[in-house]
Amino acid sequence: MRILLIEDDTVLGAALRDQVAGDGHSIDWVTRLDAAEDAMATAAHELVLLDLMLPDGRGIPFLKRLRARGSVVPVIILTALDQVSDRIEGLNAGADDYLVKPFDLGELSARIGAVARRYSGNPNPILSHGDLDIDLAARSILRAGKPVTLTAREWALFEAFLARRGQLLSKTQLEDTLYAFDTEVESNTIEVHVSRLRKKLGAGVIVTERGLGYRLGAA
Amino acid sequence: MRRRWGLQARLALGLGLALTLVWLGTAVLTALSLRHEMEEVFDSSLEETAQRLLPLAVLEITNREAGDGDQHLAPIRAHPELLTYVVRDDAGGLLMRSHAADPAAFPDWTGPGFAQNATHRFYSEDTLQGSIRLTVAEPLAQRQQAVGEILMRQILPLALMIPLTLAIVGLSVALGLSGLRRFRGRLASREARDLSPVPVSDLPAELQTVGETLNDLLARLDAAFEAERSFAANAAHELRTPLAGAIAQIQRLKQETQEAPVVARAVAIEETLKRLTRLSERLLQLARAEGGKLRVDQPGDLRPVARLLVDDLGRNAAGRLVLSLPEAPVLSRLDPDAFGIVLRNLIENALRHGTPGAPVQVVLTEAAALTVANPGPVVAPEVLARLTDRFARASTGDGSGLGLAIVAAIAGRIGGRLVLSSPRPGHADGFEARITLSGDG
Repeated sequence: MRILLIEDDTVLGAALRDQVAGDGHSIDWVTRLDAAEDAMATAAHELVLLDLMLPDGRGIPFLKRLRARGSVVPVIILTALDQVSDRIEGLNAGADDYLVKPFDLGELSARIGAVARRYSGNPNPILSHGDLDIDLAARSILRAGKPVTLTAREWALFEAFLARRGQLLSKTQLEDTLYAFDTEVESNTIEVHVSRLRKKLGAGVIVTERGLGYRLGAA
Repeated sequence: MRRRWGLQARLALGLGLALTLVWLGTAVLTALSLRHEMEEVFDSSLEETAQRLLPLAVLEITNREAGDGDQHLAPIRAHPELLTYVVRDDAGGLLMRSHAADPAAFPDWTGPGFAQNATHRFYSEDTLQGSIRLTVAEPLAQRQQAVGEILMRQILPLALMIPLTLAIVGLSVALGLSGLRRFRGRLASREARDLSPVPVSDLPAELQTVGETLNDLLARLDAAFEAERSFAANAAHELRTPLAGAIAQIQRLKQETQEAPVVARAVAIEETLKRLTRLSERLLQLARAEGGKLRVDQPGDLRPVARLLVDDLGRNAAGRLVLSLPEAPVLSRLDPDAFGIVLRNLIENALRHGTPGAPVQVVLTEAAALTVANPGPVVAPEVLARLTDRFARASTGDGSGLGLAIVAAIAGRIGGRLVLSSPRPGHADGFEARITLSGDG
């Protein structure tokens, strides 16, 4: 999933970036609202983590502008414990969830997964696909009852397919999901990950549409 | 407590008393001098009467045949006599008397001039080498009545004038102090934390300075509170962000390392940081409860705040929170963040100290009364009474010991009351916290 982090504190921001990237998502981290506008104009983010106090303004007006433009990207706001009014205002302005600082990074990962699942239309983290039993919240997967271990990148890629069942995903779209702006991507990276997924989960799990991209195979 | 007299009562009483005393003093002095003057007039007419009477008496007695003795002059016609007289010889023998004169009432001869006994004033005069002695008597009662009448005529108007004067004094004092009374009224009707200036333009000149000094003081106090408020808000943000960063970093470190001693250290640091975070949150809450703004201008519904917090706190307390809200909005001018602080502290207390796993009842009524109740051990009354003290704990737990102090401070500031009961009403065990939060008080 491609995620935009808007947080001006460098220590907290770096830890959040590492955590989200460690979960296999691609993350763009900006420290100002104007930079966030630019980032959102150039890439299709699938989730935004929004701090409410930025050097060039407050997060809630930014969120309102975002929603006024018709954007439906899921937004999780990062807020202080006692600012209940901010949280209510944020939720009313169109935020999907909130995290109270300081929060556990595990909690952050869980919320990101939950919001993403809600947006994919199926909030239930337990899925099955063919002979696969998948728990998105626990990041565990059973193939014919036997556990399979996926790396963070493989998970992120597989989640992207699960979230858009039947849809054709281009190689560029998938690269965006896995890598942030400033990452150098080897031209065959997606092919490598797809072939590993096929090896672990079954050859038919991902279908190649030659010249166009990939889609999740029929169950 | 000794009753303190108001300025108005003191002024009215003092002025009235002084005026009354001056009036009365003047009246007494006038009466005394008047009386003296009248005595002189009466004496002079008594003396004149005697001197006019004596030659007539001498003529009468010498013309009379000898041996007639006492001559009692019959009245020309019956009339009450004010003045009586006797004429005596040098041996005291009675020669003549007016018809109503009682010789026994006249004193023995002591020479010419004035004399006085208990009932009469006398004037005596003699002639023919003292052989004929005339004494005229005037009853004192007569004089006293005359003086009395005159005095009464002077005092009667006074009796009317004094109450009138007192009323005028009272009225003008009240009128003069009305500015002060208005000022007092304005001060009395203010809310406890209202620091806006008091209008002083209509104050008397003497009080203008007092009012201006007060306003100056209020303005400085307001600025100090405002500084404290923004400090608390900024400190909250400034403190929270680095703590959140440090906690996030240590959690990353924990995930990235495989070495057990490093993980153990990271866990210890994380625990310390989290404790520091909780403590700083509580201190900031307390600062806010005691110094910050607790009221918003527009009344708002407290229900969304309650829902959000119960949802938030319920995430880590699997189904233990039972929230009951009225159908209608619970309108209050209490700042929603302050309400959040109250609710969070009460619920966290209930979750921490209540029977593990047992439900915690959170009830908000339409009248903005909040009750948080949980089953659990009974808290001893002496502990209960100390629970709202700072750093007081019912048990050695992981609480900061500030939660109920914060709630009590907020309750006190908004004119509400925090009532703690254990066991909770209607049960044999448990704990209940009840607080009214209309925020209008």
